[in-house]
Amino acid sequence: MSRHQPLTIIEDTGSIKSWGNSQDPPEEAASASTLHCHRLSIHQVSYTVSNRVGPWWDFGSCRKKWSRQILKDISLYVESGQILGILGSSGSGKTTLLDAISGRLRRKGTFFGEVCVNGKLLKREEFQDCFSYALQNETLLGNLTVQETLSYTALLAIRESSKDFQKRVKAVMAEMSLNHIANRLIGTQTFGGISNGERRLVSIAAQLLQDPKVMLFDEPTTGLDCMTANRIAVLLSKLAHRNRIVILTIHQPRSELFQLFDKIAIMSCGELVFCGAPMEMIDFFNDCNYSCPEHSNPFDFYMDLTSVDTQSKEREIETYKRVQFIGSAYKASVIYQQTLENIKRVKQLKTLPPVPFKTKNSPGPLIKMGILLRKITRNLFRSKIAVIARLWQNFLIALPLIFFILQLTNDALKGAVQDRVGLLYSCVASTPYTGMLNAVAFFPALRAISDQESQDGLYQKWQMLLAYILHILPFALISVVIFSSVLYWTVGLYPEAARFGYFSAAILVPHLVGELVALVLLGVVQNPNIVHSGVVLLCSAGILVGSGFLRNINQMPIPFKILSYFTFQKYTSEILIVNEFYGLNFTCGNSNVSEGNPLCLFNQGNLFIEKTCPGATSRFTTNFLILYSFIPVLVILGIIVFKIRDHLISR
Amino acid sequence: MPENLHPESKMKGDVSIQDSVFLSESDNSLYFTYSGQSNTLEIRDLNYQVDKAFQVPWYERLAEFKMPCMWNRGQDAPVPMIQNLNLKVKSGQMLAIIGSSGYGKSSLLDVITCRENRGKIKTGQVLINGQPSTPQLVKKCIAHVRQHDQLLPNLTVWETLLFVAQLRLPRTSSDSQRKKRVEDVIAELRLRQCAHTRVGNEYLRGVSGGERRRVSIGVQLLWNPGILILDEPTSGLDSFTSHNLVKTLSRLAKGNRLVLISLHQPRSDIFKLFDLVLLMTSGTTIYSGTARDMVKYFTEIGYPCPRYSNPADFYVDLTSIDRQDRQREMATREKVQSLAALFLEKVRDFDDFLWRATEEESMLTVSVEPRSHLISEQIINLPSSSDHQLPGTVQQFTTLIRRQISNDFRDLPMLLTQGLEAFVMSMVIGFLFYGHEKIQRSFMDTAALLFVTGALIPFPVILHIIAKCHSERAMLYYELEDGMYSAGPYFFAKILGELPEHCAYVVIYGIPIYWLANLRPEPEHFILSFLMLWLVVYCGRTMALWCAALLPSLHTSSFLVSALYNSFYLSGGFMISLDNLWTVPAWISKVSFLRWYFEGLMQIQFNGIIYKEPFGNITIPIPGKLIVDGMDLNSHPLYAGYAIIIGISICFIALYYLSLRFIKQKSSLDL
Repeated sequence: MSRHQPLTIIEDTGSIKSWGNSQDPPEEAASASTLHCHRLSIHQVSYTVSNRVGPWWDFGSCRKKWSRQILKDISLYVESGQILGILGSSGSGKTTLLDAISGRLRRKGTFFGEVCVNGKLLKREEFQDCFSYALQNETLLGNLTVQETLSYTALLAIRESSKDFQKRVKAVMAEMSLNHIANRLIGTQTFGGISNGERRLVSIAAQLLQDPKVMLFDEPTTGLDCMTANRIAVLLSKLAHRNRIVILTIHQPRSELFQLFDKIAIMSCGELVFCGAPMEMIDFFNDCNYSCPEHSNPFDFYMDLTSVDTQSKEREIETYKRVQFIGSAYKASVIYQQTLENIKRVKQLKTLPPVPFKTKNSPGPLIKMGILLRKITRNLFRSKIAVIARLWQNFLIALPLIFFILQLTNDALKGAVQDRVGLLYSCVASTPYTGMLNAVAFFPALRAISDQESQDGLYQKWQMLLAYILHILPFALISVVIFSSVLYWTVGLYPEAARFGYFSAAILVPHLVGELVALVLLGVVQNPNIVHSGVVLLCSAGILVGSGFLRNINQMPIPFKILSYFTFQKYTSEILIVNEFYGLNFTCGNSNVSEGNPLCLFNQGNLFIEKTCPGATSRFTTNFLILYSFIPVLVILGIIVFKIRDHLISR
Repeated sequence: MPENLHPESKMKGDVSIQDSVFLSESDNSLYFTYSGQSNTLEIRDLNYQVDKAFQVPWYERLAEFKMPCMWNRGQDAPVPMIQNLNLKVKSGQMLAIIGSSGYGKSSLLDVITCRENRGKIKTGQVLINGQPSTPQLVKKCIAHVRQHDQLLPNLTVWETLLFVAQLRLPRTSSDSQRKKRVEDVIAELRLRQCAHTRVGNEYLRGVSGGERRRVSIGVQLLWNPGILILDEPTSGLDSFTSHNLVKTLSRLAKGNRLVLISLHQPRSDIFKLFDLVLLMTSGTTIYSGTARDMVKYFTEIGYPCPRYSNPADFYVDLTSIDRQDRQREMATREKVQSLAALFLEKVRDFDDFLWRATEEESMLTVSVEPRSHLISEQIINLPSSSDHQLPGTVQQFTTLIRRQISNDFRDLPMLLTQGLEAFVMSMVIGFLFYGHEKIQRSFMDTAALLFVTGALIPFPVILHIIAKCHSERAMLYYELEDGMYSAGPYFFAKILGELPEHCAYVVIYGIPIYWLANLRPEPEHFILSFLMLWLVVYCGRTMALWCAALLPSLHTSSFLVSALYNSFYLSGGFMISLDNLWTVPAWISKVSFLRWYFEGLMQIQFNGIIYKEPFGNITIPIPGKLIVDGMDLNSHPLYAGYAIIIGISICFIALYYLSLRFIKQKSSLDL
């Protein structure tokens, strides 16, 4: 593909006529190269969204909707080996255009036009298999090294049996010149690691592992210092020249980049004001009587020329007119006609290569989950804070309980029943809370990664969810065992080893359910703070209705009785009450004088069981079974929610 | 060819073409002048060090499980961030500090604005008008635009600016003057098309990032200060807007003001707008002098700028330190050091430490330019705020409370969540303990109802408040630091502004429960119970406000509040009998507002009635007082409970005020 080398062409010609392989009829090209040369054509793409006006209490204006056209009739044509830079000020529709190309537009807008690869219209689900799309914010796990990150991505993308994944990782790392930092941790915002620019290189490398033929980048150089930004731009153009299509948006291009791009598109107010080779651009603007002054950056100059200044009404009209003028001059120009002709010709062409999908022999869903499990477990083990929080948070909850109770008594007059009920209540109420805290603290980061990577077609969101649930199980178990063994024996609950076992087993479920419920909600609600208070509320309601500690279940209205069967607290508390009170005898003061005291009516634990939850002793095993069935039910619910999430968040 | 690098005629030609793009903007532009005394900012021999280990806040270190005694054993020694800096800027000039990021620009701005909490000045001083800079002086004459936007998300751009105008413009200015000023600033910063869009934040859609940036600048521009400092004002803005912004700034400078901006790489058209440039790399000065002489200087010392290159880009690249590998790093570092030494040598003889080509030329650039602008452009002379008194405490308070209420009231999702939460909880509890139609509750159930009603609901409220306070904390910190208002008015606005929300919440929550559960129907009992509920939720609120102001991050605050609440909950007299508590928990129960609430309600609902306790088939009549006695809840008279809860609330409020006043509200977001 040597004839696509843009630097040489700019140097030796620079005029429109001799430039442009696009003018060669594609038929003339050697048939061998046609098979490898891919063509992306975007034909008359428009996109309109409508929004509500005004705040919620202003019904009049709230009803009204105003619609805004974000993309107006855009046509583009790019071939393999070309790098296209889309320029434009913020709000000009650059990112929306990339979204449109990659099929990630939100569904609520209306979209017209066609995006074709090699002359074929893509179906909605085919988009993510064809394009790679790197977003502005890179999502990487902070506690993995560069090599590990890339290896896991490679494992997810390529079947391990093909054995070349290590080779591929090596090749990509060499291509992106990441070898010198291969074994360094990626790090997070607060704690060091590799630099921002390197982080961006890693996320580009992760895209490359899937070997896409069309790569899209949204602002790849923003927020980086000049050296890194230049390095990334040069790398991207190299990628393009290895027979790929690279499209990137950029809002502050430096003059050095002028030589790197094969094609430049300028957008303003949703319109494509110009699209063509750099030298064509200079000629075109010269023809419009706007020649670029010598000592300034042509990109800056042309972008300013095509921006709309909204400072005042007159100024807005004036600048908008200028943009319209340039836009219509472009539509009338040879370059634009050429583009349309190319799009048309490609459609009619017979000898076209198939749509270049990314590597398709990815491993099966179970293997993918295994890889994800390894990946996030390793990430978790590297983070001291996460491990300690997961293991010792329950223990922290136990400490105040021990502090306040010290030792349970057997004297009913001194609150033997009250204290025990209070203690069991606290166990049922606080363990879901710690589980939820873990989910809210650690899952959103993984959720962001799974949102991104599932759009790259690496795996599906529910697989990440399932891997997450699997990797917390051992931690939850150990954490609950620590909690119960400290609490149980210090405060002096029923001293019997088997009952201790039942106690721990019953406490494990609320802890897990708390985390699972939070996970399900995190699938629907984006803001973790709302999930936090939502779970607190759900658990409070559950304990009120279900536990029977606060309200005698027999006396509850019927709907609540039915509702209580759906709360895990009901089963947990029945198990705990039976476990503790069965066969327990209370004393009542020093003598048997105080018969009249209502508190002395319960001198046997069994009586208490019969009063609070009649028949619970015989349901002991059933309760355990039902309690444990909450876990699979919630897991399935989570999977369903995350499948729906795929549809809800289509970008 | 150094000779024909920038021939004057050609320069002018370029500028005129470039200006044609940005054209008429300067004609109808606004022009605030600063009519106060002219200012001078001088920096002498500044050496400034930063200890990297100190930048990690204490709670992060605790989270890393390092003991406090180990903190001081930092492995890395203090890093010099600024070395031998000399500088003198006068009103009417705009100084741009350029250089790649992380090389001391932000540190310099920190030193000038007296916020050197991260490092230490080794030698040298900063003088404002000849006086050493102090926080008071900085507050009075320097406006500082931070790198990160901190704005209330639910207000519109117009409202945001108007509230600031009410806080910041002199007491004497009228309402229409303020509105005029806000309109001017909105036009100046090109925010007209989004003036009535809300500002938004990362969770809430609002204006675009660039527009939010401009709103932040507008907040500072409003009060028309004598010295304006901007940290990376153009980051995240598109070229057009940043050009216009810098042009605005340069015009502001021409209006007898001193403008200081830090930028990491200005575009060529922006570079042409600067008066003075300070090029810094790893804390050393490579060049400081007029922008137009910079190319000349570097040409003189042997680094001419290539023809088609932006001088700013070229020289920043030339002097940045390449950290790709060790050798290159050493090589570039040595080059930088030699350049710095060379510059120091060259400017030794000038008193303002600026390099200039020849004497006459520099006179031309410094003095003539501003005057010509003054004549040609229309001047709107506005009184400068520093001459007049800022609005008094009362006005600050009324503005803040209006701002807070309009921000909260617009947040429909939050209002709905909270309202729904209260409603659902009240329905659940109310129907759960449904008390009409001959249903006879056991006394334990009634006790549970009373405890649950007061003990469950404050916790979600507390969590809401903590989250909200922390989202606003960074803004509060900046505004207090800027002296926009003082802690007192903010405190009162916060305390009183929460009341309507609080009352609505308690009404939605409390009244249905009382009616559904069929508690004692006499009006006096109802009023007493409702008042108690109102107080206990309010007490929880004040506790949350205090915790949020006390600790710097959301997680530490939530942790403290949970720990406190849990202690109060356990010692509330319901979970564990008060008799069984040993000494320390017994003390805690004395300050547990939940215990006093529970005691009060038990007395209200049980004392003076005969309670029929069902037991199996028989019903035993028990005087209610006996039950309350049995739980050890009759130890204090009823009014004492109210007095103690009010007392506890007042204590929390006082602690909240003290925390606001004496603890820096620096947030974890602001690192």
